[in-house]
Amino acid sequence: MQGKAENSRNFTQCDSLLIGDKCGAHTVPYIEVKNRSAKVEHEATTSKISDDQMMYCQQRGMSAEEAVALIVNGFCKEVLQELPMEFAVEAQKLVGISLEGSVG
Amino acid sequence: MLEIKNLHARVDDRDVLNGIDLSISAGEVHAIMGPNGSGKSTLAYVLAGRDGYEVTEGSIHYQGNDLLDLAIEERAREGIFLAFQYPVEIPGVAGTTFLRTAVNSLRKHRGEKEFDAMQFVKYVREKQSELNITDDMLRRPVNVGFSGGEKKRNEILQMALLEPKFAVLDETDSGLDIDALKTVADGVNTLRDPNRSMLVITHYQRLLDYIVPDFVHVLAHGRIVKSGGKELALELEKEGYGALTGTQAA
Repeated sequence: MQGKAENSRNFTQCDSLLIGDKCGAHTVPYIEVKNRSAKVEHEATTSKISDDQMMYCQQRGMSAEEAVALIVNGFCKEVLQELPMEFAVEAQKLVGISLEGSVG
Repeated sequence: MLEIKNLHARVDDRDVLNGIDLSISAGEVHAIMGPNGSGKSTLAYVLAGRDGYEVTEGSIHYQGNDLLDLAIEERAREGIFLAFQYPVEIPGVAGTTFLRTAVNSLRKHRGEKEFDAMQFVKYVREKQSELNITDDMLRRPVNVGFSGGEKKRNEILQMALLEPKFAVLDETDSGLDIDALKTVADGVNTLRDPNRSMLVITHYQRLLDYIVPDFVHVLAHGRIVKSGGKELALELEKEGYGALTGTQAA
């Protein structure tokens, strides 16, 4: 927050989704505030794709890859929806690519 | 349709099923009743193919093939459906998206053309009104914030859409009030078909007033201790499980 930003507000949300049991997430919030009237909030969560969620999707006929893609897309949707169209399409593709070969 | 022979299974190093024999023909509805911890849900998960449910002895044949050779999603694509006792929440994934992905997985497997969003909406609309499923429920994330009744109705909607050949209903009546129970039972009854078999797992006779089974089996200590017609359920309601399972009724 710049020094002249009187009564400004900021909310930072940082959510992580873990895929598989060989990963972790460390979120380090860093916020610089140069104005005393600014209100700043920060929030972070970490969640995991559960065995139950995988089984539920697979019992309905989805492959493990399809299940992970569905769950990850649901997780990212809120953010992707906010992006301008041209970025949203690209981001969607990126999510798809990064998941290839991550399961199995 | 389904042939279970001398099935033994263990979960977390504990023997839960100790020799189950059960034969289900096309079009039949079988009910499995039994006290807590008798192995009812374990049987459901073994049939579905859940990880961690290890078959140590015996066999399951489905439409003449060895079911135990198939992975969980392969079983689903071959027409096995499990209505979950505790349907799982999937945050951020809209009901329609989930359902369409599932239905298209099966269509792809059968060599049929996948539904696009418009075709799918039409397909769902035919089924959803019977089960009192609102458009709003399909827009919300899968099972997130659903009431007990909504979750179970949603399970039956999935069954209606996926058109399984063999459906296992694991305590579909738990957590339902009388009205919701009737809606769910009506939904199940419209899905009864000469080519579709069902295994209905329940604690209580009440559900079987609405979904009338052809056969009733009593499960205790991982074995079927008694089988009979629908009148067996009434007998149980009167006498309790104690007389059959050798334990005192609580």
